[in-house]
Amino acid sequence: MQTTVQRKTSSKNRLNPGGRYWIWYILPALLMYCLFMAYPMLDSVRLSLYEGTTGARTFVGFANYVRLFTDPEVSARFWGAFRNTWVFFAYHMLVQNVLGMLFAVVLTNRTMKGRQFYQTVVFIPCTIAVMVTGYLFKLILNPQFAGPTLRSMGLGFLVKPWLGSEKTALNVISLVSVWQWVGIPTMMFVAGLQGISEDLLEAADIAGANSWQTFWYIKYPLLLPVVGMIAILTFVSNFNAFDIIYAMATPDGAPNYSTDLIGSLFYRYGVAGKHPIGIPEPGVGAAISTAVFFMLLAGVVPTLRATQGKE
Amino acid sequence: MRKLTALLLAVLMMAGLLPALTQAETVKLTMGSWRSDDAEKVQALLDKYKELTGVEIAFQPTVSDQYNATLRLQLDNGTGPDLYYSRSYAVGQELFDAGFSMDCTDIPGVKENFPESALDAWQTPDGKVFAVPFAAVSQVIYYNKTLFAENGLEVPTTFEELIAVSKAFKEKGIEPFANGIASNWDILECVYLGMLPNYVGGADQRALYESGEKKMNDEAFLKSLQDFAELAQYLPEGFESLTNSDGPAMLGLGRSAMFIDGSWTCGTFADYGVEWGAIAFPAPEGATPAMCFHPDMGITGNNATKYPEEVKAFLTWLATPEGAQTTSTYLPQGFFPMIDAPITFADPAVTEILALNDGKVLDARFVWAKLLNMYTPMVEQLNALTKGETTPEAVAEVFAAEQAKIVGQ
Repeated sequence: MQTTVQRKTSSKNRLNPGGRYWIWYILPALLMYCLFMAYPMLDSVRLSLYEGTTGARTFVGFANYVRLFTDPEVSARFWGAFRNTWVFFAYHMLVQNVLGMLFAVVLTNRTMKGRQFYQTVVFIPCTIAVMVTGYLFKLILNPQFAGPTLRSMGLGFLVKPWLGSEKTALNVISLVSVWQWVGIPTMMFVAGLQGISEDLLEAADIAGANSWQTFWYIKYPLLLPVVGMIAILTFVSNFNAFDIIYAMATPDGAPNYSTDLIGSLFYRYGVAGKHPIGIPEPGVGAAISTAVFFMLLAGVVPTLRATQGKE
Repeated sequence: MRKLTALLLAVLMMAGLLPALTQAETVKLTMGSWRSDDAEKVQALLDKYKELTGVEIAFQPTVSDQYNATLRLQLDNGTGPDLYYSRSYAVGQELFDAGFSMDCTDIPGVKENFPESALDAWQTPDGKVFAVPFAAVSQVIYYNKTLFAENGLEVPTTFEELIAVSKAFKEKGIEPFANGIASNWDILECVYLGMLPNYVGGADQRALYESGEKKMNDEAFLKSLQDFAELAQYLPEGFESLTNSDGPAMLGLGRSAMFIDGSWTCGTFADYGVEWGAIAFPAPEGATPAMCFHPDMGITGNNATKYPEEVKAFLTWLATPEGAQTTSTYLPQGFFPMIDAPITFADPAVTEILALNDGKVLDARFVWAKLLNMYTPMVEQLNALTKGETTPEAVAEVFAAEQAKIVGQ
């Protein structure tokens, strides 16, 4: 009996050096994070200083960055993709997130019937694979296959090569992506709105606030941390977006690079190489992702500062 | 107690590994490929090979547009397949120069059984063969026989007749062609490079452009671009957003009368029950008919394989007429063996497409051998020309400037 007690205390001491027992709780996650997040990220920064495929890599310093920003063709593609990504982001911020908030306010209105049903309907597109969404919308937007149906409905003016025109392709693809993902901010805003104390809303009601005033002076300020979080999530996922472009345009960002995003540009340079040669330049790809990483950082940190931490 | 459990577990795991260890003794080769669509058919071929020789080969394809990068990565890391499909010309040669692909020069039959035009695609300038030629594809115009008959139109034999037929279909409210430009590759590979041999000629003429002796804004090129622009007027409504995979459906459903595509598509029309035929791209009046017959797939061995004997035996078999005949019964429709021997196909339609080659000057896709860096600028220019944003003259100037960049190097 005596010995067991001793063993227990000694082992407790060994596992709790200087009272820092919490280190054991963090350690598994930290190891995973370092191994699968931090290390590859740092290694990709290192890779951006090299040239060649995996077999024969030579150190070239900042040559990849110089090429990325000064080579007329590569820099034109990079800034083109950069601009397109901002357009893509703007659609999600202004259409997806504003709609998400609108839906959330409507869905948390207790007097409405069938709330659960609408909530499900709004969320269903999020559960469909992007390749499937892309394929379906490609058919819906196809002037040859959807054209006759639209014409018979008297909607002939809608029969246009939406995805084939440089002016419309990116806008249409952005809206398809908005359609697919609007459920995510809706759910987050619904959760945020449900967390608002009933007392506040009752007090506002008694004070004679109309619903617009209740939203603007009570609900919106209290939702601000959620807005900030959603803004960051949208920002990060849009700057990494690739799948919807792959599904609806091509990895080339057709037509004429008008739908080329940072994600598809990175795929072409870093992963697949350009058709038909198909030999990638991982160094340039890594330079693109590193440059974008710092741009994301510059966007995320001020947003976090502005919206989080003030309880 | 805990130690005992651990020990027991370890023993159990070892026991689990045992069958895997003993199995490794039988020869099992792997084959890399970009033809993931053909997985079933090629595996059937490889099973047939196992039946004949007892050597098992597993087909492990990758998505086509990632094949080059994936294969390169596997070879770099020593995990490459024992056998793999080799792209023709420079892209395939790169792997040989890097020391990955086997030297196939001494494989019995390679030098004797294949025509020079086929070997050319998998041969270094100093005559070393780096893959056994496996299959070629041709670029043709598919047409809907019923639509031609119903409208009393003859199948065109010259480019001028092709335009006349297209005009007639358009006036009757039928889309002449099912081609679009949204896939970003077929307007060049299937349409423009398919018609080009009719204007510039075969491999001997191509060599003159590759050396810079002839310029890509000469009369022949200009005429090809003018004809291309004329043809482009008959692309269907909304062609800007139609992809290559929309084509078979449009032709199959009778929405369009013709579809310009590769021979590899011919197997897909059966699903629609359409009466179809294929013609070679008609030459302009007075020109010598020529055709694009493109060496597409070669197969080579991995120098790092554990079973060089078995790999070489398979390549040798591929280079025999019997091997080629067996292969072609399993190959997907529209892929043609390049061996110098009479090959028969089960599908008469396939035999018909191959017969289009007869009596014509044949050549690979114009840019593939030495001008591959022109691919992207050409796609961009042809897209613009199709939409009417530029002129044939301006495009020819860009072609010549791009050619000068490559030839000047």
